[in-house]
Amino acid sequence: MARRKTDNPIFPAIVLVLAWIVPGAGHVYIGRAARGLIIFVTVTATFWAGIAMGGIMTVDSRTERWWFAADLCTGVNGLVSWYRSKRVYAEVDRELKSGPYAEQFYEDAPNAVGEESRRYYLSSAHRAEVVSDLRQRYVDKILSDKGYRLAAPAETVARAYSGVAGLLNALCIFDAVVLVLMGRGAEPGSTTPQRRKDDREGSDA
Amino acid sequence: MMILALFERPMTLHFYSLLWLLMPLCVVVAIVYKTLRTEHLSRLPGEIARLVAYMAAGLGILALGLWMLHEYWPFS
Repeated sequence: MARRKTDNPIFPAIVLVLAWIVPGAGHVYIGRAARGLIIFVTVTATFWAGIAMGGIMTVDSRTERWWFAADLCTGVNGLVSWYRSKRVYAEVDRELKSGPYAEQFYEDAPNAVGEESRRYYLSSAHRAEVVSDLRQRYVDKILSDKGYRLAAPAETVARAYSGVAGLLNALCIFDAVVLVLMGRGAEPGSTTPQRRKDDREGSDA
Repeated sequence: MMILALFERPMTLHFYSLLWLLMPLCVVVAIVYKTLRTEHLSRLPGEIARLVAYMAAGLGILALGLWMLHEYWPFS
């Protein structure tokens, strides 16, 4: 396998980080600028189209962990959306702790546990689960009242768009890193001095 | 601020629009996949168009097959 032997070697770790932070940046860095630009425009537009359809809560680290992991593959796009959804959740938590919904929640919680324990024996873990379910219902209600709650069918489309954007960027990250490891940086068929040198080294190996 | 507001609240989508929203997703997948795979960028638009056509045809055949199963399944 031919490896790139230049004065300025390209480190796969740098390519990996660049390609993750800004979609397409890894390809631009290794000398495939046109491809990098296409990847940047496509992945970014798809991700934000998903957010436009689903709103802030499309990137949801609490209830949709697999989609969240896929969203984070879009780098800075995913991080910005995560930050915005965290701010909304902090606001919701504040309201549930001391806002207008708190009183109702603290009234309902013992009732919900009592109702369940009349039917089944509840261990302490089950009690915590009942309270956690009730809490989630309240969180949904608050989000709904604020107009942020994401429900089907918009939920399906929005999460698919932003998640697929993340998975496509993961593919691009993998491609950029593998190209560097194989010593194939610049565009195939290009006539730059670097490319000619790479091609010579490739045929020698 | 106006642009940010666009990304805050969910849109109202109807169930029947879901299938049409699948096509842009197919186009996006085709663009990224072919951008990575193609040797010469000059051939990129043609290869993307061909892949999108394959995907649309495949999804159409799948939809037709599922619809026929749903309509004519003898054991239901």
